[in-house]
Amino acid sequence: MGDGEDLKSLQAKNKVSEIGQFIAPFLVFGLFWEIMVRSGIANVQTLPAPSMILHELYVLIGKKGVLQCHIYHSFYRLALGYVLAVVAGITIGTVLALQKDLRDMFSPVLSLLISVPTIAWIPVLLITMGLGDKTVITAVFLGGVFEITYSTIAGIRSVHQQQINAARIMGVRGLGLFFKVLLPGSLVSIMPALRLSIGYCWRALVGGEMLSAMIKWGVGKMIYDARFWNDVKVMLVGLIVIAFFGVLLDRIMLKRLEHETVEKWGMLVER
Amino acid sequence: MKTHKKVKITLQNVTKIFGKNAERVVALDGVNLEIYDNKFTTIVGPSGCGKSTLLYLLAGFEKPTSGGILKDGKLIENPGPDRGFVFQDFALFPWRTVLGNVMFGLISNGYDKKQAKKIAMDYINLANLNGFEHAYPHTLSGGMKQRVSIARALAYDPEVLLMDEPFGSLDAQTRKYMQEELVKIWEKFHKTVVFVTHSVIEAVYLSDIIVVMSARPGKVKAVFDVKIPRPRNYTGEQYLKVRKEVLDYLEEEVQKEIEMNNT
Amino acid sequence: MTGKGYILSLVPIGGFFLCWQLFAHFGFINIALFPPPTKIFTELAALFHQEIAGHSVLLTHLIVTLKRLFLAATEGIIVGIVVGTFMGLSQSVYRFFDPIITWVMPIPGIAMAPLFIVWMGFGDPTIITVGAIATFFPIAYNTSTGIRSVDNQLVRAAQIMGANKARVLAQVYLPWAAVYIFTGVKLGLARCWRTVIAVEFIAAANWGLGYMIWDAAEYLSAGVVYGGIILLAAIFTFIEKGLISPFEKMTIEKWGMVRI
Repeated sequence: MGDGEDLKSLQAKNKVSEIGQFIAPFLVFGLFWEIMVRSGIANVQTLPAPSMILHELYVLIGKKGVLQCHIYHSFYRLALGYVLAVVAGITIGTVLALQKDLRDMFSPVLSLLISVPTIAWIPVLLITMGLGDKTVITAVFLGGVFEITYSTIAGIRSVHQQQINAARIMGVRGLGLFFKVLLPGSLVSIMPALRLSIGYCWRALVGGEMLSAMIKWGVGKMIYDARFWNDVKVMLVGLIVIAFFGVLLDRIMLKRLEHETVEKWGMLVER
Repeated sequence: MKTHKKVKITLQNVTKIFGKNAERVVALDGVNLEIYDNKFTTIVGPSGCGKSTLLYLLAGFEKPTSGGILKDGKLIENPGPDRGFVFQDFALFPWRTVLGNVMFGLISNGYDKKQAKKIAMDYINLANLNGFEHAYPHTLSGGMKQRVSIARALAYDPEVLLMDEPFGSLDAQTRKYMQEELVKIWEKFHKTVVFVTHSVIEAVYLSDIIVVMSARPGKVKAVFDVKIPRPRNYTGEQYLKVRKEVLDYLEEEVQKEIEMNNT
Repeated sequence: MTGKGYILSLVPIGGFFLCWQLFAHFGFINIALFPPPTKIFTELAALFHQEIAGHSVLLTHLIVTLKRLFLAATEGIIVGIVVGTFMGLSQSVYRFFDPIITWVMPIPGIAMAPLFIVWMGFGDPTIITVGAIATFFPIAYNTSTGIRSVDNQLVRAAQIMGANKARVLAQVYLPWAAVYIFTGVKLGLARCWRTVIAVEFIAAANWGLGYMIWDAAEYLSAGVVYGGIILLAAIFTFIEKGLISPFEKMTIEKWGMVRI
């Protein structure tokens, strides 16, 4: 029918104009910036033009091939630290959720620890663990573990006693109970924490890399080193990479997971 | 016998269309209507007939797509303090006390604080809200909130009072009480009121004039003069007669609206 | 938490420090890396008593950091609320800033520090500016959300009562957005002090709590490191409980508008 086609082409037009509107400010801003530098109004040393930054990006990836290396090392540390944080967080959180006495003992400590910024732990880590990889990974770990523990406790405690009883009567116990009832039921609390944590961990990673003098590779390290050469181009490339992956990790990676589990089960109430 | 009725507001061929192209909705189509001064006019009609839209046009919240609305000969295009509005959802400012809410219009129109407070208290008394002037809206019941709303709209003495299904959010008991209170208040000032409702019972109890609107696109279908003395009796003979007449007209339009939605 | 609850919760923390003290005393842990609480306390006290130009070293560090926090927070809050308001009121302003917020907000302040060191050198300008930027983002975002979400009926009610545009903005939009602004300010302040401390690690010239901790770490002076962290935690708790909560009680809680 004529109407249906009209609607489709209208929607397509809307999408294009939406994307256009999204990009437009960047283009306008970028153009303005480029002109300012080229015409000499802005000092090219302090503020390189967008074209130069893009060129540098190309150089770092293509000619020197270092950017990939930095990114690889950063992600390696991020992944390791994050996984450890998730495993430890869920384990400790579960134990604390199920044992009232332990929980009463450690809850206030946990609240206190959450409020310490991850970055503040790094000097401690530097003293105790040195200036290398281990420190950065531990920093990433600390970035996420408290948040995950906290929300695991809340999540498991929120699982209805009825559901636990129903499973018990069907003969499920112990570890089986954990994986089949407690964990899925607590996911609605844990998922947002997993999402938040990846952001915290990413930030902890960047901070840790910048402060650990003995590592060679890493996005944070790349930016830090660039300062000694006053190389603003590299710094900006680094910042763009950080922003890019920061947004990517938050939006895409975990949104998917959340969608596949909690949303599908109809457990997501407040949106 | 001819009664002298002064025309306060004239709607001339008013049309209101929302949206564009495939999604356009013709809410009002060529409405011609006269609102008389010092009379209580109620507009009834099936859902979606545009009665609230009409009220919004009178308030100046929207502009007609074509045609014009004249008040005392001047075009209405923007909201202004010559009119008052009572919303179905009260629209009270939660961060202001009852007194603060009622004073708002007065202060906006240049009254100094002392004067505004005195006048506001008068209207709070009128609305039977003594003792609650320092309460915050979220602590009040629905009926009380609506009384604040009415006091607030009347406080700065507008020429016309517009009421958009003001008792629609209230339970049946409160609603009946509010209808009676409204009549009492109206008898004091005889303000020009334009009241929108889908309850014919309410319309016949309150109004001097009842305007029945057609299903969408909205047009004026019939106008009734209600000459029963107030306060009216919900079971009185005259009341029931008028009620039946209006209902018959309305039924037709309601049927049409149901059919429209089923296609 | 009730008074009794507070006292009870101190038990595990107290117990933790007690164990730490005992372990150190009996040599179970390396006291160079994990100096006992008593040593932490004495080292902090030493810094407190140590003087330079007539003032206590510890207090000078503290005051310098607090000054930076105050300036960064104030700048960030003011600019954040102003920009957020404009974003809320104008669709074009919103479209301009929204992508910037989306992409720049996730960048940790510390990562921006080297750039600002090149532009502004070491010390206060860099630290305060980066701190202000970190504070700005959540506040602008939340403020704009608040203003955009305003109930239109309230705007209409104000308009028909004769309020002019300025009055509608001040008397309707802003009070409505207050709930959101509070959330934004809370988030912004949290980011502010985290960023200021972090930037102090690398961009401070000689003073500041962050500098003090970092310097101590470089000289392997563990006691000061731990002491500094404890001080930080204490300050933050004070800001949260002592300043923000009461303010909230006086406004949005009284109006019945608490959301989260």
